[in-house]
Amino acid sequence: MQGEVVRKSIRSDGTSLFVRGFGYAFIGLFSLGCLIPFLLVLGTSFTKESEIVKHGFNLWPRIFSTFAYKIVFENPNLIIGSYVVTIGITVVGTLVGLFLVAMTGYALQRPDFEQRNKISFFIYFTTLFSGGLVPFYLLVKQYLGLGDNYLAVLLPGLMSPFLIIMMKSFTKSIPHAITESAKIDGAGDFTIFTRLILPMAAPALATIGLFIALGYWNEWYNAMLFLSADMKYRPLQLFLYGVVTSADFIKNSSASSNVPLRDVPLESMKMATAVVATGPVILFYPFIQRYFIQGITVGAVKG
Amino acid sequence: MGHAKRLTGLALTVALAGSLAACGSNNNNGDSASTKDNDGKAASNNSGTDTKATGNNAKADNSADTGIDTSKFETINYVVLGDKPKNGQLEKVMEKVNAILKQKVNAELQFKWVEWADWQTKYNLLLASGEPLDLITIGTDWLDTWGNAQRGAFLPLNDLLEKYAPQTFTEIPQEDWDQSKLKDDIMMIPEDHYTQWVNHGIYYRGDWAKQFGITQPITDFETLGKYFQGIKDNMKDVVPWDVNGTNGTLYTGFETAYTNNIDLPIATGFANVFTAKSYEERYTVDSPIFNDKFIDFAKLMKEWADKGYWREDVLNYKGDTRTELKAGQTGADAHHTQTFKGLRVDMDKAQPGSELQMFSYSDTLGNLVSMPITHGGTSVGAHSKDPGRALMVYDLIRQDPELYHLINYGVEGVQYEIKDGVRTRPAAYDDAKDGFYTDFWGGRIDKNEIPADTDWSGIGDIYAKYDKIKKPFPYGKFVFDKSSVDPEMTALSQVVGEQLPAILFGKAGDPEKAVKALRDKLNAAGYEKVKAEIQKQLDAFKATDQG
Repeated sequence: MQGEVVRKSIRSDGTSLFVRGFGYAFIGLFSLGCLIPFLLVLGTSFTKESEIVKHGFNLWPRIFSTFAYKIVFENPNLIIGSYVVTIGITVVGTLVGLFLVAMTGYALQRPDFEQRNKISFFIYFTTLFSGGLVPFYLLVKQYLGLGDNYLAVLLPGLMSPFLIIMMKSFTKSIPHAITESAKIDGAGDFTIFTRLILPMAAPALATIGLFIALGYWNEWYNAMLFLSADMKYRPLQLFLYGVVTSADFIKNSSASSNVPLRDVPLESMKMATAVVATGPVILFYPFIQRYFIQGITVGAVKG
Repeated sequence: MGHAKRLTGLALTVALAGSLAACGSNNNNGDSASTKDNDGKAASNNSGTDTKATGNNAKADNSADTGIDTSKFETINYVVLGDKPKNGQLEKVMEKVNAILKQKVNAELQFKWVEWADWQTKYNLLLASGEPLDLITIGTDWLDTWGNAQRGAFLPLNDLLEKYAPQTFTEIPQEDWDQSKLKDDIMMIPEDHYTQWVNHGIYYRGDWAKQFGITQPITDFETLGKYFQGIKDNMKDVVPWDVNGTNGTLYTGFETAYTNNIDLPIATGFANVFTAKSYEERYTVDSPIFNDKFIDFAKLMKEWADKGYWREDVLNYKGDTRTELKAGQTGADAHHTQTFKGLRVDMDKAQPGSELQMFSYSDTLGNLVSMPITHGGTSVGAHSKDPGRALMVYDLIRQDPELYHLINYGVEGVQYEIKDGVRTRPAAYDDAKDGFYTDFWGGRIDKNEIPADTDWSGIGDIYAKYDKIKKPFPYGKFVFDKSSVDPEMTALSQVVGEQLPAILFGKAGDPEKAVKALRDKLNAAGYEKVKAEIQKQLDAFKATDQG
C-alpha cells in the first residue's frame, strides 16, 4: 500500500473511459427498459381505440385521441377517492410505522436492556416461520373484527422484522456512551430517544421510511383480502387492478358521460386510468429523490 | 450540453421512479387456503345469539301448514362470485326480492360477493374462516368443492331438505343426489335442471359455405378445410380463420373428432395431456398426444398453415378474432355452444344473411359428454345461523317464477320486456345505467327461464342433436390428488405450453419430428410416472364408483 499512485486524468485513461462508457450504456439501457413500458401505456392511452384493436399497443399514437381521458375525467371521484385513501394510509402508516420501528430497533440494541436477545429472537423467529394465510385472515377478520376497515390494511404493514433488524444494526453504530452521558445528565429514556437518537439516525429513518412508504403505496393484497366490494373507496392499487380486470368501472364511467357502452374505448381507457393513477407520483418523485438516495447510501454503508 | 445532460438525468430519474412505483414490494402470494385445515366441526351452530327480530309483525303465511316456526326475522347471506354491480340496480331489485321473501318466509336475502381479483384465495379463505355463511355457490370442477366439504365447510343436508326445501328435494332425482354426496352426506344442491353446453367447436359462415358448394353442415375437419380453401380462392383480403396461436381449440378438436378419448378433470396447462380412453373405458388413462392419429393431424394442420388458412405469424397474433368475424374480415371463430347461442344473433345483425353455423367437434364421431351436474350448485355453510331458513329461501328463489325472474333478469319494464314470450331489452335500456346481474349460478332451472332475443331461436335443434348422443359426466366425484406428482405435472404443463401450439398451427417444421420431439420431452418430464399415478387413482375411484 506504500506504492506511488500515479494520477492520470480520467480522460486519457482508455480503460476507465471504457468502463465509464460501458456503465453509462448499461444504465441507459436499463432505464430504457423501465421507461418503455411506461411510454407504451402513455402512447396507447392517447390512441384511437379502433387503431389499438387493429395494430395493438404502440409507443406513438397512430391516430391521436383524448377520448379515453374525457371519459376517465367524467367520473373522477372514484380515482380521487382511491388516491385519498392510499395517501392517507401511506402517510399515517409511514409516520407511525417509522416511529415504532425506530423505537424497537433502538431498544433492542441497548446493552443495558437485559431481555434484548430473547425479544429479538421472537421477532426473528417470525421471519422463518409464519402461521400462514388462514390464521392471519382469521386473526384480522374474526378476532380483531377489522373486515371493511382501513386499519386492516394499515396495521399489518406497520412493522416488519427486516426493517427492525436494519434499524437495530444502524443504531448500534451510535456510541452507547451518548446514551449513558445523557442519563447522567438526568434525561429519561424517551427524551434520549427523541432528542438524541432520532436526529442522529436520520439517514436510516429516511431509508426505512422509504421502504415503509413504498410498501403502503403498492399495498393491494391485504386490501383485497379484507376490504370488500361494499366499500366505496379502496386503495389505489386495488382500484387499478379492478379497472384492468373488470368492465365495471368502465360501465359506470360511460354511464355518467352518456356514451353507449359499445363506443367505450376499453383498451385506451385502461391505459388512461393507469396514467392518471401513476402520473402524479412520477412528477412528484424527482423532487424528493435526493433524500432517498442519501438515505439509502448512508444506510448501506453504515447498516 | 449541460441542458441535454440535465434532461437525460431527469428522464432517467423519471424512469427509475416509474420502476420503483410500479414494483410491488409485497409479493405476498398467499398459498391457497386449501392446504390448510381448519378444524371445522360441522356442527349445526344454532347459537342462540338473539339478534333483535326486526319487524316480525309479518307472520309468515305458510308457517301454519308446514309446522316451521318463522316468527324470527332472518337475514340469509349468499356467497356469489363476481364483481358487485355498482350502479344501484342491484339494491333496487333486491328490495323487491326481499319484500316477497319477508312476506313468504320472514327473511331477507343478501349477496356476499367474492370479487374476481384473486377469487380462489378469497373464496377458500371465506369458507375456512368459520364465518356464518348461509348459502354458498359451489362447483366441483372449479371451486374445490370436495376439498372444502372434507374440511367441514358445509353442513350435511340429509335431514333438512325434505322439510325445508320440499320442491327442490323431490325435483332432483336420486342419482343426482348421490352425485352430491360425500360418503353418505348430501353436501350440495346441484344445478342439474339447467341446460348449458360448453362443448367446443368452430363457427363458420353458412352463406359462404353454400357459395363454395358445401351444402351439408360441416361435421369434420376435411370439409372444414374445403371451406377454408373456398375463402382462400374466392375472398381476397379475408383470412379464412384469423385465430390466435394461444388458442387450444384444435387440441380439443383432435381429441373429440379423431379419438374416442374423453376429458378427465386433470389440468396440465395449455392442453390436457391425460384423458380417459373412451366413455366405455372411462377408468383407463390415455393421451391423445401419444395416439398415432396425432401425427396425421399434425400433418393436416401443417398443410393448412402452408395454404394460409391462418396468418403467417399466428403464434404471436393477439387480435380479436370475434370482432373480425363480425366485421367480415375472417370466416371462422372457435368457442363453445353457449357462446354460439348469442353470437349467432349478433352475427345476424352484423353480417345479415351470414347464417353462422357451428361445427361441433362431437359431430364427427358423436363423442360428447355432458357437463357435470355439480358444475354449479349451492351448499349451506357449516356455521349457518339458521340452515332451515336458508334452505327455504333457496327453494323459493329456485322454484318461484317471480323471484327467479327478479334475481336472474331484474325488473320487468326496466331490465327486460316480454314480447311474444321472448325477453327483449326495453327501448330506454342503457346497459351502464340499468345493467343488472346477481351471478346466481347455484340453482338456475330451465322451467323458469324465459328465452331471450339475444339467444338464437334455433338453439333447441342443436340441443336435441346433443341429447341424442350425450353421455353422462362420469367424474363428478373424482378428484385427482396431484401432491405426489406435482413437480412432474408442472413440467408437463411447461412442455405442452412450449411445444404444442406450434404443432397445432403447423409451424413446428416437419410434423413427424415435432410430434416425436414433443413426446420425448413429455417422457423426460415424467409422463409415465404421472400416468401411473392417475391410473392408480382411477382404479381406486372405479372401486368406489361401482361398489
